Amino acid sequence: MPVIAVENLKYRYPHAEALALDGLNFTVEKGEFIGIVGENGAGKSTLSQALIGLVPQFYKGAYGGKVLIDGRPADTTPIAELCCKVGLVFQNPFNQLSGAKDNVYEEVAFGMQNLGVPREEMHRRVENALKMLDIWQFRDRNPFDLSGGQMQRVAIASILVMEPDIMVLDEPTSQLDPQGSEEVFRTVDKLARSGITILMIEQKIEKIAAYCDRILLLHQGHQIAYDTPQKIFSRPDLEELGVRAPAFTRICRALGATLPDGSYPVTVEEAADRLQRTDALPPPAAPVPSRPVLFEIQDLTFSYNPGTQVLHGINLCLDARPTAIIGQNGAGKTTLVKLLKGLLRAEGGSIRFRGEDIAGKTVAALAAQVGYVFQNPDDQIFRYNVLDEVMFGPLNIGMDEAQAKEKSRAALAMTGLADKETSNPYDLELYERKMVAIASVLAMDPDVLILDEPTIAQDVRGRQCIAGIVRTLSEQGKLVLAILHDMDFVAECFDRVIVMAQGQVAADGTPRQVFADAEALQAARLDPPHVTQLCTRLGYEGVFLTVEEFLTACGCKE
Amino acid sequence: MKSISLYIDNGSWLCRMHPFTKLAYIAAAISVPLLAGRLWLFAVFIALSLAVLASGHLLKRVVPLVAFSFTILITIFLIHGLFNQQNRDILFSIGPLHFYREGLLYALHIGCNVLNMLLSFAILVLSTKPSELVEELEKRGFSRRMGYIIISVFQIVPQMMGTMNTITDAQRSRGMETEGSLATRAKAFLPLISPVVMSSLINTRERAVALEVRGFAAKQKKTYLADRTPRRGDKPITIVLLALIVLAVIWRIVQCL
Ligand SMILES: Nc1ncnc2c1ncn2[C@@H]1O[C@H](COP(=O)(O)OP(=O)(O)OP(=O)(O)O)[C@@H](O)[C@H]1O
Ligand SMILES: [Mg+2]
Repeated sequence: MPVIAVENLKYRYPHAEALALDGLNFTVEKGEFIGIVGENGAGKSTLSQALIGLVPQFYKGAYGGKVLIDGRPADTTPIAELCCKVGLVFQNPFNQLSGAKDNVYEEVAFGMQNLGVPREEMHRRVENALKMLDIWQFRDRNPFDLSGGQMQRVAIASILVMEPDIMVLDEPTSQLDPQGSEEVFRTVDKLARSGITILMIEQKIEKIAAYCDRILLLHQGHQIAYDTPQKIFSRPDLEELGVRAPAFTRICRALGATLPDGSYPVTVEEAADRLQRTDALPPPAAPVPSRPVLFEIQDLTFSYNPGTQVLHGINLCLDARPTAIIGQNGAGKTTLVKLLKGLLRAEGGSIRFRGEDIAGKTVAALAAQVGYVFQNPDDQIFRYNVLDEVMFGPLNIGMDEAQAKEKSRAALAMTGLADKETSNPYDLELYERKMVAIASVLAMDPDVLILDEPTIAQDVRGRQCIAGIVRTLSEQGKLVLAILHDMDFVAECFDRVIVMAQGQVAADGTPRQVFADAEALQAARLDPPHVTQLCTRLGYEGVFLTVEEFLTACGCKE
Repeated sequence: MKSISLYIDNGSWLCRMHPFTKLAYIAAAISVPLLAGRLWLFAVFIALSLAVLASGHLLKRVVPLVAFSFTILITIFLIHGLFNQQNRDILFSIGPLHFYREGLLYALHIGCNVLNMLLSFAILVLSTKPSELVEELEKRGFSRRMGYIIISVFQIVPQMMGTMNTITDAQRSRGMETEGSLATRAKAFLPLISPVVMSSLINTRERAVALEVRGFAAKQKKTYLADRTPRRGDKPITIVLLALIVLAVIWRIVQCL
C-alpha cells in the first residue's frame, strides 16, 4: 500500500473563486524522495498543507476528493493524530516557532514533549539535530534573536526531531547558504534511504533534480506531470509552465547531448559524462566604467549583546555598480546593511554616505536616499491595502498625493502587482508580500536600493522581474546592493560581489574573480554557480558565469 | 528579546528548590499568622523570608520591591493613624496631628500582612522560571492550554515590544520621523497601535497553526525535558510547612471553642 495516496483532490480557499488545487492524482511509496515544483501560485504550499490536514481542517473552504495517509483520510483524521505521522516545515520559519520557549534547545524539543518522547531520547535527538544543522552553538539563544538562515535551521530541526514517517518541507532552504542547503538535502536524502518518505517543495531546481526520485509538476492547481527528473526537465513546454530546467539540462539541450533514452541530463555528473571539453574561453573582462562613490565604511564594528561581536572591523567603499553581498548564514550581512540604513548604530568606526557621517542623521532623514527591503516582508508591511502600503513612503518624503500615486503605480507595475492594488497584503502569498515590500521602497525612488534576500520564495518569473529591477536601477546610475544566496542569480546580474564570513569581508571583486577564489568561497560556505561547477569538472580554464555566456562561447544559442 | 519575568538563574540553592516547596512556603507564610492572629508571627515569617532571600543571594533584588511597597505602607499608616473610625487613645502628636493607638495598630497589621505576602511571593517569583512552575503544574494535571496561555502571557509584553520596534523600523525606514523630541515620538506612537494589534492577531493565528503541526493537541502523555526530581530538602520542608498550617488551624479551632 502506498504511504500517500491522493485521489482527484480539489480544494478552494474560502472567499476565493478559483480552485487552488484541481484534480490531483498521485501516490507515494515508502522511502521515496518526491520533489514538488511549479511556478508561484501553482498550489504547492496548499498541497503541503493538505497532506497534514490543515487544509481543510484549519483553513476550511471547499474540499473534494481524497488524501489518504497510510490509508487514513487526511481531511477527517484529527491533526493531533496526523502530526505524529506527517511533519510539515513551513515556508516562513518564523511561523514554525511555538512562542512558548525562550531558547533554541527547548524550542526544538517542544514537539517531542507533546508526543511523549522519553527524556533521554529527547536530549539525544535535539543534540543530533542541532549539530547536524550547525546551530549547536546557538542552543541557549532566544529563537527570535537569530538570523534568517539560523531560524530556518531551527524550524527544520524542530520537525526533524519528531521523527515523522513522512516529512513535507516547503522551501526549507530558501534562506540557507549554499553549503547549508546541500547539507539539508543530504540529510533528507539519508532519511529517505532509511525509509522515511520525503516531499519537498523547492525552487532550487538543480538540487531537486539531483536528489529526487520523482517530481510532481504543478501549474495553476493542476497536476501537469509526475515523473523522473530527466523526463520532467526534458519537457519542451517547461518555460511556459513557469519552471526552468537545471542549468546542466539547458546546456545539454542546446548542445544536443542526450541520455540513451532521449531525455537530457539533469545533474552535473550526467552532463559531464555526455559533454566534451572544447577550446571555448570565457569572454575577456569588460572594462567597468568608474562610478561615483556612495558609501565609505571604515573599521566598522557592531555587537547585539556585549561580549559577542558580530562585525569585526569592516572596511568597504561602495560605488554605484550593482553589488551583491554573499556569505554564510549569520555572517553579519543583514547586520551590515541595517547599519548602512541607520537602523542599527555602529559601535566603532564610521559610515559615510556621500561624504557625510550618517551617525548624526535620523533614519527618516536618510529614507529618501537609501531604501531598504527587509529580509522578512512581514517585518515591513503594516497597512491593510497594497496601494496604501506602497504610498506610505512617497507621502512621507514629501511627494504630493498625485505624484505619490503615480510613483506607486509605476512601482507596482514593475513588480508585477498592478492588479493587486486593492488587496490586503496580509492575504497575499509570501512571494507577493516580498514584492509588495520591494515596490514600497521602489516607489520612493531612492538613490540606493538595499535588497535583503529578494529572491526568497520567487519562481523564475519573479527572479527575472527582480533582475529587471536591478538592471533598470543601475542604468539610472543608482546603487543596488543585494544580499543573496542564489549564486546563479549573482553571476547573472551583478558587477561586484562582496563575500562575508564571520563578520569580515573575505573577498571582494567582480563575479569572475570571486568565483575563482576557492578559499574565500569555502570560508563563507559558498559554492560557485552551476555552470562554473560544470566547466570546472570538464576542465575548462577560466570561469564561465552563466549558461548564456557558456553557450555563446561554444558558438550556439539556448 | 527581553523577558519580563523577574527570574534570573543565579545558581543558588533557592533556584534549584522545587517550585511546589516554594508554593507551600507562600501558603504557610500567609495563612499561619492570619489563622493564629498573632502579630509576632508576622515578624517571624518576615524575618524568615528575608533570611531565605539573603541565603539565595536575592536580597538586593528585593529591595526595590520593598521600597515601593513602603511608599504605600506609609500612606496607610498616616490615614489610619489619623483618621481611623475606632481611634480613641492618642499615642503621640506631631504639632496639630494626633496619632491614635487603634489606627496605628490596625495599620501595623495591614503593613505586616502586605510585607509578609510580598516577601514570600518574592521568593517564588525571583527564583523560579515561570515555565518551570507551569510545567510542574501541568504534570499534576493542570490544563495544558491554560499552561500555554500563562507562559505566553509572559512573552506577550516582550513580543509586543518587539513588534513595536519592528514596525517603528519599517516606518522610519520609509521616511516617518520617529526619533528626536518628545512631540515627534508622541506623534509617531498613534499610527503604531493598529498595526501592532493587527500583527499580534495574525501572529496568534499563525502560532495556532504552528502548535497544531508540532503536536500540541496530541493525545499522548506529555514528557518533559527538564529533570526535576525533588531534591533531598524538598520533602521534609514541605511536610514541616504543611504541618505548621495544620497546627495553626487546630489552634484556631481550639481558640474558638
Ligand atoms: N536581534 C539579535 N539579537 C542578538 N543577536 C542577533 C540578532 N540578530 C542577529 N543576531 C546574530 O548576529 C549574527 C549576524 O546576524 P545577521 O542577521 O547579520 O546574519 P546574516 O548574515 O544576515 O545571516 P542570514 O544569511 O542567515 O540572514 C548572527 O550570529 C545572529 O545570530
Ligand atoms: Mg540576513
